[in-house]
Amino acid sequence: MIPSLQRTLWITRVTFLEAVRQRFFAFLMVLGAAMVLSSVSFRVFDFGHGELKFIADFGFGGMFLFGSVLSVVMTAQLFFSEIDNKTALTLLAKPLSRSEFLLGKFFGAWAVLGVFVVVLSGLLGVVMWAREQELVAMAEQAGKVPVTFSASGMVQFALLQWLRLGVVIAIVLTVSALARTFLFAVVVGSLAVVAGQLQWIAQDAVLKPTGSLIYGAFLWLSTRLLPNLQQFNIGDALVLGATGVPAEAVAEVALSGLAYMVAYLFVGTLVFRRREI
Amino acid sequence: MRPYYAPGLALLLVVGAGAFSEISWRSVRPSIPEIGRKELEPTLGQGVLLGILGGLRTVVADLTWIRSYVLWERKDRPGCEALMRTACALDPHSRYFWENTGYAIGFDMAHWEIRRRGGYAKVPAETQQRIFQQYARRGIDVLVEGIGHSKAPAPLLLCAAQLAETKLKDHALSVRYYQEAAESPDAPWFAARICANIMWEDGRKAEAYRWFRKYWTERMLPKEDGFPDDLRQLRVMEAGLRLKPEERIPRPTWER
Repeated sequence: MIPSLQRTLWITRVTFLEAVRQRFFAFLMVLGAAMVLSSVSFRVFDFGHGELKFIADFGFGGMFLFGSVLSVVMTAQLFFSEIDNKTALTLLAKPLSRSEFLLGKFFGAWAVLGVFVVVLSGLLGVVMWAREQELVAMAEQAGKVPVTFSASGMVQFALLQWLRLGVVIAIVLTVSALARTFLFAVVVGSLAVVAGQLQWIAQDAVLKPTGSLIYGAFLWLSTRLLPNLQQFNIGDALVLGATGVPAEAVAEVALSGLAYMVAYLFVGTLVFRRREI
Repeated sequence: MRPYYAPGLALLLVVGAGAFSEISWRSVRPSIPEIGRKELEPTLGQGVLLGILGGLRTVVADLTWIRSYVLWERKDRPGCEALMRTACALDPHSRYFWENTGYAIGFDMAHWEIRRRGGYAKVPAETQQRIFQQYARRGIDVLVEGIGHSKAPAPLLLCAAQLAETKLKDHALSVRYYQEAAESPDAPWFAARICANIMWEDGRKAEAYRWFRKYWTERMLPKEDGFPDDLRQLRVMEAGLRLKPEERIPRPTWER
């Protein structure tokens, strides 16, 4: 067990270093950071949402958009670079199983996305904290109740985003294990993200009674096979306390994300074992 | 049987994760009120999808609102209303969107409709009145929906009261909204006085005096200046009702 873990960690380390050195990662990180920082300047276009909400939404949007792009494209690129450069053949000729290789790739990519999420949410937290201090002072002068943001909520949101991106990476690796080309993996991975974001429509529909057996079966199947990525987007409620989230709900969402990751990685491993390289 | 063992386990894992996701979605669903709203359906193709996909909802709501202004200037009633309602749906906690949507529907769109039908000279007065009332009702419905999402509902209640008073001509409803606004924690100082005035002018004089007196005694008198203008209003009411001196509000030391 321990040698297997060591081999997985070794692949993870190499994958992480390779990904962090990529210009693509740096580019998206800079874009995301610019989006978070520029939110303060863009607040003049805001129509009465409350400044903190506007800034938070800008940051969440950047994290969602660039995080999704990064997790799809970078994961597929990291996987196919090994296949196309034939380094996978050399690696797998050594005492390294295909599941260890795939898991190493997953954890490496997930760690990079962890850095991405930590940097962006940290930056967003600092921007919101700084603006909150000014808004609190202004609200006190005007005799109003100030709007505050929750740092612990921000930590929970960052964790949920990291889990969401982990699910996306697991899906992209499963698709990559099956796909022949990088482009196919990226396109299908991106569609999976969009479908996952809209899966809640099926999940809402499945809770209502339906007369058609086929329609019901289709809904049931789609809600089981596709992950519900929308459930991770509760930043407003967590960070600004807009509607409030029960603590057990956050834990359930986190566990659901972990369950999907395990399930997709297992499927990906099975597919990759049968793949010809 | 052996070759099917692993795929079977994989299927079980995916289905299990899906089943667990259903439980977690039920717990977290009320925290995302922006999604799944009927108002979003007609405008899904106009970039609003981006807002639903996660993050950026506020930005998309702002852009939708700017676009609705373009249609407002063109007096395009269906388009303007759809986009304004979309902005409300994308950010249901923004008072600005609800307030302005309610006002635009309740005040402006009735005029657009009358002009569309040929103008004020051509449309009979009764029809005009019916149109004003119809749109006022719709504006109030929007405001009531906004009140449900608002933490500080007084401004939206005042808008609804104003629409009910001036356009719907339903003074009982207007008084109800003014009373709710006056009794809410963020009540503005004028809400109670307007409420009492409408009741008074509606012939509910004794009721208006009783309510306003109770409100003034409980919520205004304890405040720093005691609201002398409102006391003056109450004195006018006491004179109008011809109350005996012992039935009137005891004279505070500061009253002139």
